[in-house]
Amino acid sequence: MPQELIERRIRRAALLVALGLLVQLATLAWTHPLSFVAFLSIGCPLEAAGVLYFLYALVSHGSSHPPKAL
Amino acid sequence: MPPMLFSPKLEIFFVVLTIALAALVAIRADLTRARGGRVLAFIALFLFPSFALWTGFSEHMERATSTQFCLSCHVMTDFGRSLYVDDKSYLPAAHFQNNRIPRDHACYTCHTDYAMFGTVKSKMRGVRHVLVQYFGTVPKPENIKLYQPYNNRECLHCHAGARSYLEASEHHKKPDMLAEANANKLSCMANDCHDIVHNVADLKDATFWKETQ
Repeated sequence: MPQELIERRIRRAALLVALGLLVQLATLAWTHPLSFVAFLSIGCPLEAAGVLYFLYALVSHGSSHPPKAL
Repeated sequence: MPPMLFSPKLEIFFVVLTIALAALVAIRADLTRARGGRVLAFIALFLFPSFALWTGFSEHMERATSTQFCLSCHVMTDFGRSLYVDDKSYLPAAHFQNNRIPRDHACYTCHTDYAMFGTVKSKMRGVRHVLVQYFGTVPKPENIKLYQPYNNRECLHCHAGARSYLEASEHHKKPDMLAEANANKLSCMANDCHDIVHNVADLKDATFWKETQ
């Protein structure tokens, strides 16, 4: 797999994580039921998606190597 | 609730640090070509965000138990005022003003089921309340009722075994009165017992306690 594709995936994952964390940061500045809901419905999914996408980038990178001949 | 892992300030610092690391990886994704860069990406995009999620969730759960959180919805204003009624027959006011419950967690202390999944059930109801607040018809404060009759278990969580509870003459007006209350067959808030609770419809005639330092 080309290195550029992996880096693109890592970049997307980093953006998702950063966006989710920004939402989390905003919700931490406000003690209100809406901030709790925003954290659960926006921040958490974005961060989780970023982490999972990063893991996917690692796994897809690992599986692209051809098996070594014995 | 479990004790908080981080203080809020430390958590904010940690989240900002994680954002900075994630941004660095986003801007310089080419760093991951080297081993050090890959380790950085693993920390910035897996370890730290996972930890931040956990601490964020813990912090929000903790905040959701605060009196300030509950009273931040307009419909709860009168319930908050009822805590300051200058009349000791008002059960929540007597508890609140005499520090029988922690003031900063007053609502949560009495309105969370002290049972397995009690907190989870309360939070689910809370999410429903938020949806009703913004997408439904908000009832008048005096029309807000409990989902089910108040369970004595919530009172006995503190009062069970207390001398004032066991020896109060009013608790022996009838034989087996305590046993029935302990078994939740006789409500603590039954007529002629502790039957003045929030009574928000009567607040317009009430006088209020002004806390002095």
